[in-house]
Amino acid sequence: MGSSVANTEPILKVRDLVKDFGGLRAVDHCTLDVYPGRITGLIGPNGAGKTTLFNLISGALAPTGGRVFFQSRGSGPMTDITGMAMHRTFGLGLVRTFQIPREMKRMTVLENLMLVPAGQRGERIWASWFTPWRVARQEREIEARALEALGFVKLSHLADELAANISTGQKKLLELARTLMSEPKLVLLDEPTAGVNRTLMAQLSLSIHLASAQRGVTFLIIDHDMDVLMSLCDPVIVMANGAVISQGTPSQVQADPQVIDAYLGGRQPVGQPGGNLGVA
Amino acid sequence: MEFAGILDYAVGFVVMAGIYSVLALGLNVQWGFTGLFNIGIAGFFALGAYTSALLTGPPPQGQFEDFVFGGDWAQTGGLGLGIDLWFFLGIGAAMLVCAAVALVIGYVTLRLNDDYLAIATLGIAESVRLFFLNEKWAANGSRGLYNIPQFLEGWIAPDKYDYLYVVVVLGVLAVLFLAMQQAVRSPWGRVLRAIREDEVAAEASGKDVSKFKLQAFVLGAVIMGVGGALYAHNIRFLSPQTFDPLLATFIIWAMLMVGGSGNNVGAVLGAFVVWGIWTGTQFMPGVFKDPNFRFFMIGALIVGVMLLRPGGILGESRRTARGRTAAARPPETGDGG
Repeated sequence: MGSSVANTEPILKVRDLVKDFGGLRAVDHCTLDVYPGRITGLIGPNGAGKTTLFNLISGALAPTGGRVFFQSRGSGPMTDITGMAMHRTFGLGLVRTFQIPREMKRMTVLENLMLVPAGQRGERIWASWFTPWRVARQEREIEARALEALGFVKLSHLADELAANISTGQKKLLELARTLMSEPKLVLLDEPTAGVNRTLMAQLSLSIHLASAQRGVTFLIIDHDMDVLMSLCDPVIVMANGAVISQGTPSQVQADPQVIDAYLGGRQPVGQPGGNLGVA
Repeated sequence: MEFAGILDYAVGFVVMAGIYSVLALGLNVQWGFTGLFNIGIAGFFALGAYTSALLTGPPPQGQFEDFVFGGDWAQTGGLGLGIDLWFFLGIGAAMLVCAAVALVIGYVTLRLNDDYLAIATLGIAESVRLFFLNEKWAANGSRGLYNIPQFLEGWIAPDKYDYLYVVVVLGVLAVLFLAMQQAVRSPWGRVLRAIREDEVAAEASGKDVSKFKLQAFVLGAVIMGVGGALYAHNIRFLSPQTFDPLLATFIIWAMLMVGGSGNNVGAVLGAFVVWGIWTGTQFMPGVFKDPNFRFFMIGALIVGVMLLRPGGILGESRRTARGRTAAARPPETGDGG
C-alpha cells in the first residue's frame, strides 16, 4: 500500500470486479480500496476502464463478476452494493458525476441543486396538493442549502440562469455542488477538470480540497491533469487494461516503470487477469 | 347570423375547446413535463368516454342495440340527493379505469425510450379502438352508443344546453388546471422536469426515475379519462370512429406544440387556437372547407410555430430563485460554452 494510507478501514472495497461488453473485457478483475477522508486519484491511459469502473461502483452498470462493498454507516459491516441501482447507492451516500456534465438544461442552476436532497416532502404529489404550506417551508430550507452550495463553488451569481447557458467549467462546478447537496460520504468525480480553463480549475481544486478538509467528504477522482493530481490526490491508483497496476503517492506512481510502460506503450501486456501487479 | 346565433356557436365552441384543453393538460404532464412520448392519447380518451357512457347510460334497447351492460346510473345512481351526482361518479369511474389501464401499460412500456414508447402507445390506442369496433357485445360496435345522459338535463332548454355545460366544463378545467399548476411547481414537478432533461442524471441525483415516470403517465392518463367522460356527455353519441388517431391524438399534440409544451397555460391556449382553426375553417368557401385542407392548415400552423417559436406560442415558463418567472428560451445547441 502507499505510504500515506492510514490504518483505518476502507470506505469502499472493490473486489475482483469484471465487466464484459460482448467480447471486450473493459474491467478485468479489478481490486482496490478507498479510504475515508482522503482524495484518491484514479489515473490510467484512455480505455483503461476507469469510467466503466465508476459506472459499476455507482450502479449505472451491473458487473459481469466480482463485488463492491461500501461503508455507509461509518463503522460495522459494509454494505454489498454490487449491481445496486444508482438511486439506491445515492441513498447510501455514494454520489457520482459524469465525464461530460449532465446538467438539467432547461432548469435553472438553483433548481439543478434543489432537485437533489432525498426524500423531499413535495416529491409526493399528494403533499403538494393538500399540505402545500409544509412543502413550501421545506422548499425554503432546501433553497437556502442550495444557495449555500452555490456560494461554496462560487456560482451564486448564476443561480437564476438556465443550466444550458453556463460554460463547461461552470457546469463542472455545478456538478460538484450537486454532489455536495446530497451530504455524501463518497463522491466519484469523473474528470472534473477536463475542458476547464486554468482559473476555474484552481477554483475547482480548491472546492474539492475544502469539501474534503471541512466536510470530511471522501473523493475518488479520475483525472488526467498532473498538476491537479499532484496537489490534490493522495494516494493515486493507476489502472491499465481494466486492472490496477500501481498505487501509492503521486511521486511513487510517477516513478513506477509499469506506469510509464502503460502510458507510453512499452512491454505488453501490463495487467494480468486476476493480478494486481505492481501493488507496492 | 344574428347575435344570439353567434353566441350559441361561441358557447358550443368553448365547450369543445375546454374539453380539448383537459386532454392537452393530460398530455402536458406526460410529454411537456416528463418527456414521455405518448401518441396513444385516443386510447385513454376512448376508455374514459366509454366507461362513463356505459355506466351512466341506459341498457340496450331495441333491435339495433346489443351490448352487455348499461349501468343506467343517470336513472338509479343519483343517491336520492336530488342532484345529478351520477355525473361525477361516471367521471370518477372513468378516472379509475384509465388509472388501472395506464398502470399496467406504463409498468410494461415505460422502460422503453422515446420512439419505442411512441409505437407501443400508438398500438395500444388502436387496440382499444378496434376492441370497441369489433367486440360488439362490449359497446355496440360500429353502431355506437346513443342516448348518453346529460348532467342536469331538463334544467335548461335542450337547444341551450351548452350554456349550462360550458360552466361544468370550465369548472372541471379550472380545478384540473390549478391542480396541475400546483403539482408541476412542486418538488414533484421538478423531478419530472429533471427526468425529461436527463434520465440518467436524475437517477444519479437519487431519484427513482421509473416510479416518477409511472406516476406522470398514470396522472396524465387519468386527466385524459376526465376529458373523455366530459366529451361523452356533451356529444351524447360515441362510436369507435370518434377515436381515430387524427382527431383524438394528433390534434391534441398539435394543441400542445402550438400553445407551448411544458406550460399549462400554453396547453389551454393551444387547445383554443387549434380548435378555433379546425372548426373555423369549415366555413371557408369551396375546396378550402375540405377536411384534408383543414388538416393541412393545422400542419402548416405547427410548422410555422416551430420555425418562428420552437417552444410554442408561450414556451415553458421557469421559476427563478425568488419566485419571479421569466420565459425560458430553448437551450442553445452544444454545451453553451
